Amino acid sequence: MSEEYLEEEDFQTKFTGKTFLRILGLTKPHWKWVIGFLLAIASVSGLDSFFTYLSKRIVDEGIVAGNKDALIGILSIYGALLVVQAIFAFFFIYLAGVLGERIRYDLRKALFNHLQKLSLSYYSRTPVGWIMSRVTSDTERVADLVTWGLLDMTWGFMNIVTSMIFMLIISWKLAILVFIALPILFYVSIQFRKRILVQFRNVRKLNSKITGAYNENITGVRVIKALGRESGNLEEFSYITSDMYKASYRAAWLSALFLPTVQIVSSFALGAIVWYGGLQADYGLITIGGIQAFVSYVTFMMWPIQDLARVFAEMQHAMASGERIFSLLDAVPSVKDQPKAYDPGTIFGEIEFDQVSFAYEDNKPVLQDFSLKVKPGETIALVGPTGGGKTTIVNLLCRMYEPTKGKIKINGKDYTDFSLHGIQSRIGMVLQTPHLFSGTIRENLRYGRLDATDDEIERAAQLAGAHEFITKLEKGYEEPVGEGGNLLSVGQKQLISLARAVLANPELFIMDEATSSVDTLTEALIQQGMETLMKNSTSFIIAHRLSTIKKANRIIVIEDGQISEIGSHSELLKKGGKYYNLYTKQFRNQMEQVYDPFKELGGASGLPLAVE
Amino acid sequence: MSNTASYLDYDLKNVITKSRIKGLWRLMHGYHWKYIGAVISLGISASAKTSTYLLLSFFIDNFFVTDERPVSLAMIAAGFVLLAGIEGGFSFLSGRLAAETAEGSTRRLRNYLYDHIQHLTFTYHDKMQTGELIQRSTSDVDALRRFFADQAIGIGRIVILFAVNFAMITTINVQLAFISIIVVPVIVITSILFFKQVSKKYEAYQEQDAIVSTNLQENLSGVRVVKAFARQSYEMDKFEKENWKKYVLGKRLLLMHSLFWPISDIVCGVQMITGFYMGAVFAINGTISVGSYLAYAGMLIWIIWPMRNLGRLIVQLSTGMVSFGRVLEIIKQDREPLDTGSAVIPQKLNGEIVFKNVGFKYEEGEPVLEDINIHVKPGQVIALLGSTGSGKTSLVNLLPRFYEYTSGQLLLDGVELNEYPRRYLRSQIGIVEQEPFLFSRSIRENITYGVGKKVDQHEIETAAKNAAVHDVITGFPEGYATLVGEKGVTLSGGQKQRVAIARTLLKNPRILIFDDSTSSVDTETESEIRSALKNLMADRTTFIIAHRIQSIMEADQILVMDKGKIIQAGTHQELMQVDGMYRQIYDIQTRIETELEKEIANV
Repeated sequence: MSEEYLEEEDFQTKFTGKTFLRILGLTKPHWKWVIGFLLAIASVSGLDSFFTYLSKRIVDEGIVAGNKDALIGILSIYGALLVVQAIFAFFFIYLAGVLGERIRYDLRKALFNHLQKLSLSYYSRTPVGWIMSRVTSDTERVADLVTWGLLDMTWGFMNIVTSMIFMLIISWKLAILVFIALPILFYVSIQFRKRILVQFRNVRKLNSKITGAYNENITGVRVIKALGRESGNLEEFSYITSDMYKASYRAAWLSALFLPTVQIVSSFALGAIVWYGGLQADYGLITIGGIQAFVSYVTFMMWPIQDLARVFAEMQHAMASGERIFSLLDAVPSVKDQPKAYDPGTIFGEIEFDQVSFAYEDNKPVLQDFSLKVKPGETIALVGPTGGGKTTIVNLLCRMYEPTKGKIKINGKDYTDFSLHGIQSRIGMVLQTPHLFSGTIRENLRYGRLDATDDEIERAAQLAGAHEFITKLEKGYEEPVGEGGNLLSVGQKQLISLARAVLANPELFIMDEATSSVDTLTEALIQQGMETLMKNSTSFIIAHRLSTIKKANRIIVIEDGQISEIGSHSELLKKGGKYYNLYTKQFRNQMEQVYDPFKELGGASGLPLAVE
Repeated sequence: MSNTASYLDYDLKNVITKSRIKGLWRLMHGYHWKYIGAVISLGISASAKTSTYLLLSFFIDNFFVTDERPVSLAMIAAGFVLLAGIEGGFSFLSGRLAAETAEGSTRRLRNYLYDHIQHLTFTYHDKMQTGELIQRSTSDVDALRRFFADQAIGIGRIVILFAVNFAMITTINVQLAFISIIVVPVIVITSILFFKQVSKKYEAYQEQDAIVSTNLQENLSGVRVVKAFARQSYEMDKFEKENWKKYVLGKRLLLMHSLFWPISDIVCGVQMITGFYMGAVFAINGTISVGSYLAYAGMLIWIIWPMRNLGRLIVQLSTGMVSFGRVLEIIKQDREPLDTGSAVIPQKLNGEIVFKNVGFKYEEGEPVLEDINIHVKPGQVIALLGSTGSGKTSLVNLLPRFYEYTSGQLLLDGVELNEYPRRYLRSQIGIVEQEPFLFSRSIRENITYGVGKKVDQHEIETAAKNAAVHDVITGFPEGYATLVGEKGVTLSGGQKQRVAIARTLLKNPRILIFDDSTSSVDTETESEIRSALKNLMADRTTFIIAHRIQSIMEADQILVMDKGKIIQAGTHQELMQVDGMYRQIYDIQTRIETELEKEIANV
């Protein structure tokens, strides 16, 4: 939801040739289409002017001359060309439209594929909403510029040029009168367009504000009631709607003023034509049809002009969109394969952190001189306070980030020598808040190993203890999990992400245990799944549960980016240090849950008190 | 309050009528004359446009065909400018008036809905989804705005253009007039059919667009999973499939457009040529003048071409009507009255509360509370212990009249609770949740939110100090001005709770409800919250919702609840005497300690 009202950025840029050329370059693979629709629209536009000229001939050669044959002849040409124009119209609408879709498609694809390569560091500093708008709205704007924008420009330009030619043919003196009006019309149009665009941007911004206000009013309604804040809220909200009223009213009346103004300016040209035309008529310099043609040309001249003005006004924003898109496409992944990277074949073996340091931002180290040797198949439990560096260690291990100092070695070799795929395809990971993709349960499980058979999938689910609850669902393995897995409970999601990891049959298993409690049965199943995984791989567990911690070969207490205690459960407990404190506290908490007398009594979930 | 006045002048409940059209008309209350003005201006503007062609006809006939020249050339030229001025001026006026109507009505509707939503009952909000409500208050309201601003007026424009030009052509030649509109019904009908189809196809396209976005969103938020399983190329293939599907759907949509427009071009074109031919023949025969032919040729365009858009507008109009229906559904809901109640408001509330056989249930379904009997003396602390769903939250929710008890008697200072106005009750009751909802405003605003009086910085800081949160706040770079939420800092559950305590201290209620039911707060902050709470509870009737015994041992009355009933009541000492749930809970604590000792000894 939040993406929808991420505020519009005020980002505008000056016209830069480089960006413009790069945007135009997007059409390069489809240049035939571009040529096609440009030719088609140019023909349509030229024919439009020619029709006005034909109307003149109907009057002069047909009506005034009283010649029915000529009339029928001209109308036949008219009719035939009308069909020709319709065919061209078909082509330009189809070609430009499809090209627009195609460029949107191309851009989305390029952006998406590039995003897959970018490192976690990019994601941690770029909000998802920002990326979403690049892929959705910015691609629209850029595609519109190179299709409809280009088309409108060609149409407008051709229309003006061909009209001028015909006007010159009919009467050059009158034509010059019209030409004087042109730049004025154009200037006025651009000024209007720019102002209208600014107003519409304001409207959009206020719109997101209104949505945000509604969102807060609805989600917080219970607090508002409890605190009796209704009238204060309404007053605040009515300020936003007043601003909205002003901005959209202004946008509307500017738009309403735009065309009439252009019309009135061109009416002076019209007046002048009538005047001069009337004078010239005495000398037979202009015909009745000629006057009619001029009236038509001038009346319809404002359309190409206002189209051109619109394209120019919008171009700036499309350019800004283009720059943002290119900035994303040009972002270089900070973690990538070295030139000679190779697939190690296996990553099962001794893992060594050799004086590893790491900082997300330049001067704030989250990990300092961290050294650790892990034997193959060993299970390491990481415990300690939030922000101590536990997540950083596993992120480094998965090579989501690379150490800023020191080395991580697998079987004695620096892991940056290996290809990313070579490492990551052999890792199984279970996150604290499991992430599922919309689709069926089976699809989500298969994520662990794409070529797994249905049998293998079910086997993995059994090993992870997920099979039972899955088969109880209405559609079993074909049950959809909903967006982000929201149709399943937290415990179910955990079981599925465990089964997914089991299916991957990883050489390195990484798990960030969930802190939230699930029911006892699910808990036991989760433990069972974890054991399966830990048996066959080297495991790093960010642990919260006592049973997990106790099962580990070694426990590491991490604090302030350093190892503060290390050893087995009994060693550390005897020591009576930090681990002892952590453990006893956790013991009490967990036991309280285990012995909770209300658990058996628990009925349906309760009513929310003011807020859930 | 001038800002709210614009909505206060008219109760939008009035738009609920049997006839939708009538409802829409009432939605424009106060703007009726402006809207009518907009339509009349449109008519004047269209007439001026048509007059331009008549003037052209006059000019040609009197200056070219004959040389009568009844007026000067300058007059004619000025006439053209004047007519353009009238046309433009009134077209502007029409746009302005329509915008004022549309934007003004929408603004009132927005304010009304906003206020309406915050006055709807808890029961309504319990069953209504947030997204749905937001959708209706924003997109549907905007669809209504477009209905007034673009669609209704757009249809009016086309109809008026048609009527005026058609009428004028009949004055030139009736036969010609009817020849000119042969294809009009065909065009209108096919364009309606076409746009209906298009809007269906467009929906499919939009749905696919949503799928593509969801796909992207899930990929971005699941980036760690994607990377950890090295599924980049799988993700690319998945995205490619949806992306391509959208492209194909878009192509189909475009094919429809690229067929409709040229074909309708030809149909309109045939009508034009027929018109030109007939007009020209009449002119050659002398049935009409040359000037009349020119006027006719000009007006013909304004009859035919706009018709193609009529279909689009009519189809859009029907979506506007659907939106109106959806908005109406919210408006139909009844507000919860805040100020009604016959009770005499006391100078100072004592806080004596008596529950006599109180029961509560929703319209349908099982009773939530049954046979609740409690006598709370002023200033007492009442602890409620029980599992989720046992009814403890429902019980305290009755006090501020969030829900109405359905049976029994509930007396506050001897007066039936539902005789007190809700606003008064809520001003006298302070609620502190386990994880309170904070608004995306500054911390200062969150503390003063709903206090209902002006407070200075000193008072705020005193409250924050008493709530043990002052040091946390001053630790932020921007102090009390720090924004909370998405655009600012994220506060921990305990910090949020202490901000809420500070807020409640400022509010200074007579009755306090404190929710302590979950146990996720870590021990350091727990002691801070305890001390803050002590300050808060002094001299107030307090209800504590608890999950653990330690925090409630000193309570004057402890109520153990299960399935909507009180199963045990008494003080800690009393409850320890009897064999029951309470002692069971208490015993667990000692059991845990013994086990822990055993655990450590066994290492």
